[in-house]
Amino acid sequence: MSRASLDEARTHTFADAITDAHILVATGAGGVGKTTTAAAIGLAAARAGRRTLVLTIDPARRLAQSMGLEGLGDEPALVELDDELPEGGELWAMMLDMQTTFDRLIDRHAGSAEEARSIKSNRIYRTLSSTLSGTQEYMAMERLHELHEAGEWDLLVIDTPPTRSALDFLDAPNRMTSFLEGRLLKLLLKPGMVAGRGIGKVVGAGATAFMRVAGRVTGMDLLQDLATFFRDFEGMYEGFKQRAQEVLELLRDPGSRFVVVTSPEPPPLREAKFFLERLEQEGLHAAGVVVNRIRPEVPQDPSDAALQRAVDELERADDPEGPASAAVLRLLGDVRNLAGRQRRDVTAALYSTNVDTLVEVPLLGGDIHDLDGLGVIATTLMTGRNG
Amino acid sequence: MPETNRPAPNPAVAGFDELFSSNMLIVTGKGGVGKTTGAATLALAAVASGRRTLLVEVEGRQGFSRTFGTQPWDYTEREFRPGLWGASIDAAESVYEYLELFYGLKRMQWVMERSNALDFVTTAAPGLRDLLLVGKLYEIEQRRRPDGRRQYDLIVVDAPPTGRIIPFLQAPEGVTEIVRVGPIRRQAGQIKEMLTDPGRVQAVLVTLLEEMPVRETSEGIAALKSADIAIGPVLANQVVTPRLGPRTLHTVMAGGAEGLRERVAATGARMSGRTAELALELAHAHTDRVAFQAGLWAELAEGCGVPVLSLPLLTGATFDVGDLDVLADVVALQLGEDGPRATEELDEDAIAALLQRSGAEVGA
Repeated sequence: MSRASLDEARTHTFADAITDAHILVATGAGGVGKTTTAAAIGLAAARAGRRTLVLTIDPARRLAQSMGLEGLGDEPALVELDDELPEGGELWAMMLDMQTTFDRLIDRHAGSAEEARSIKSNRIYRTLSSTLSGTQEYMAMERLHELHEAGEWDLLVIDTPPTRSALDFLDAPNRMTSFLEGRLLKLLLKPGMVAGRGIGKVVGAGATAFMRVAGRVTGMDLLQDLATFFRDFEGMYEGFKQRAQEVLELLRDPGSRFVVVTSPEPPPLREAKFFLERLEQEGLHAAGVVVNRIRPEVPQDPSDAALQRAVDELERADDPEGPASAAVLRLLGDVRNLAGRQRRDVTAALYSTNVDTLVEVPLLGGDIHDLDGLGVIATTLMTGRNG
Repeated sequence: MPETNRPAPNPAVAGFDELFSSNMLIVTGKGGVGKTTGAATLALAAVASGRRTLLVEVEGRQGFSRTFGTQPWDYTEREFRPGLWGASIDAAESVYEYLELFYGLKRMQWVMERSNALDFVTTAAPGLRDLLLVGKLYEIEQRRRPDGRRQYDLIVVDAPPTGRIIPFLQAPEGVTEIVRVGPIRRQAGQIKEMLTDPGRVQAVLVTLLEEMPVRETSEGIAALKSADIAIGPVLANQVVTPRLGPRTLHTVMAGGAEGLRERVAATGARMSGRTAELALELAHAHTDRVAFQAGLWAELAEGCGVPVLSLPLLTGATFDVGDLDVLADVVALQLGEDGPRATEELDEDAIAALLQRSGAEVGA
């Protein structure tokens, strides 16, 4: 898309998404302010009279404190706000615990309590959530589905966990089910092995070169654990697959929208672009892009050249006001340069990408760690204006 | 040596020899703080000091190839600037190399198994992926030239962020819990030996002077220390150079926006009232930010127990690979070494402000 439409995207706000969507997912690279953005969206929705729940993964301690989240478990809690909220407007928040969610999923799909126990005590299972890429994100989506089904909130806002790639959770259900189906590892489930008639023999006889070597490299007991894990899981594939399908369908619903969060630096902007393209391919709905911590645009008066001349002249002035004015002008030049760089980077990254809404949240004094700071961002997201 | 770059009596880090006293620097930090910039800067400083240097990325982001404007990097180490090599290492490639090495399997045999092997490595055997990457770093560190010297004088690694650095570096231990026999188990012990030897490996944490990254830095240092990994200096990235102090601010504020406009108009430049007001707002925010960063810098220097080096926020109209050379020279100056490109590009006040903190000084 051309530059003109990016400018048009800058005139739109998140007001529609905040007032109509049922689910908003904040996503983006690590360290760009996803949690803060999710919390500010939640606050804006509560102010708009909606009963809102913000699900967060790892909030900054002071932000958590200010929202009354510190020491909170896996259940929603009401956030005390000073604002006068309209009828029905409430802000709730909770911290997600991935392992609890995964355990509940096992309990739901396991054939028996015995089977659930066996899986939960398997060390392959215990490490799966931290090693299988995208599993954490998938568990967050799973919990989102569960809360959506409960039907107690007008809007659920979630921030995705910081991972190597913000795209991981989209692949997670597929990756998980294909892992659980274990095309390769089904070899381990050959009858001889399940009956526990000795692994060495089965691997020696039937497995591929890869499995033979993997066995030698890793030691056989890892394979034994895998075999047990897959045997226990066998009855659960269908339930898992169906559930993953339901989660994806919920995310594809027009009531579910993604807010792509970025800072104005090239690496997170590149991730934002890939993410927008990926959402489109997957038939998911993007609410728009939030560019956090951007510097204010400095008008072009005086021009760069005139500014430099003024600095040179004022620096030589005899009174203290001259050099002091020169220092302020040099600072103005710095900010103009930095703001120009950031806007060029934003435009270069999002050029040719379909963006409906682009809201730029200015760089505020320090970190955002209280409800007042969130309130300022909430207003910017709703109105596009700062302050 | 030019008079202006005379080595200081007591810089916090005594020269290149102290900064590069280990064979490998593992660069980490909170997401978004500029790990790649920090790693590239250290590598350029090492090259400037005459060291044969390898830059390695382990997460396949292609951060360095973009930063340096080269073709995408891969598993092959290539010299892309005189004295500076680069590679992007990858777990799947490490598996093939490993199996070839230990079992004499030809790569061709693996082509059909590629995706399966990758699945197995990244999912079934927890920590194996990280072990393979760390194992590859170990292999590089072990390599010798025919004359017996190490192949690279310094290896700089753009490592996973602080949130994942401990599991990454402890992969050898994690794997020994799961893998009870076999060559991986044996090698894990040797890798751990390398990681815990301060002459071979040191971790460098990059941070911004902001509350969250500074706290994560302290937590990261504590975690790395308890994993017995030596800690090199912290790099504070994007440190704002003071343009004006409280007294200057006071002088300008006394005249107000209208006063500033008149001074500017007297030089023949035009400035609107809106821009003049913005300039004063920015001046306020700037002095606040400088004070805020100075507070965090002191907290960091006090709390982390290692020297802190500053990378200034460069405010030019563009930022490109040449600016990394400037940053490398800024690091050099803070060590009491020569940094000609920094003294050329930055004004004296900016350099004095940086050096004041590092304990280095610029001669009269």
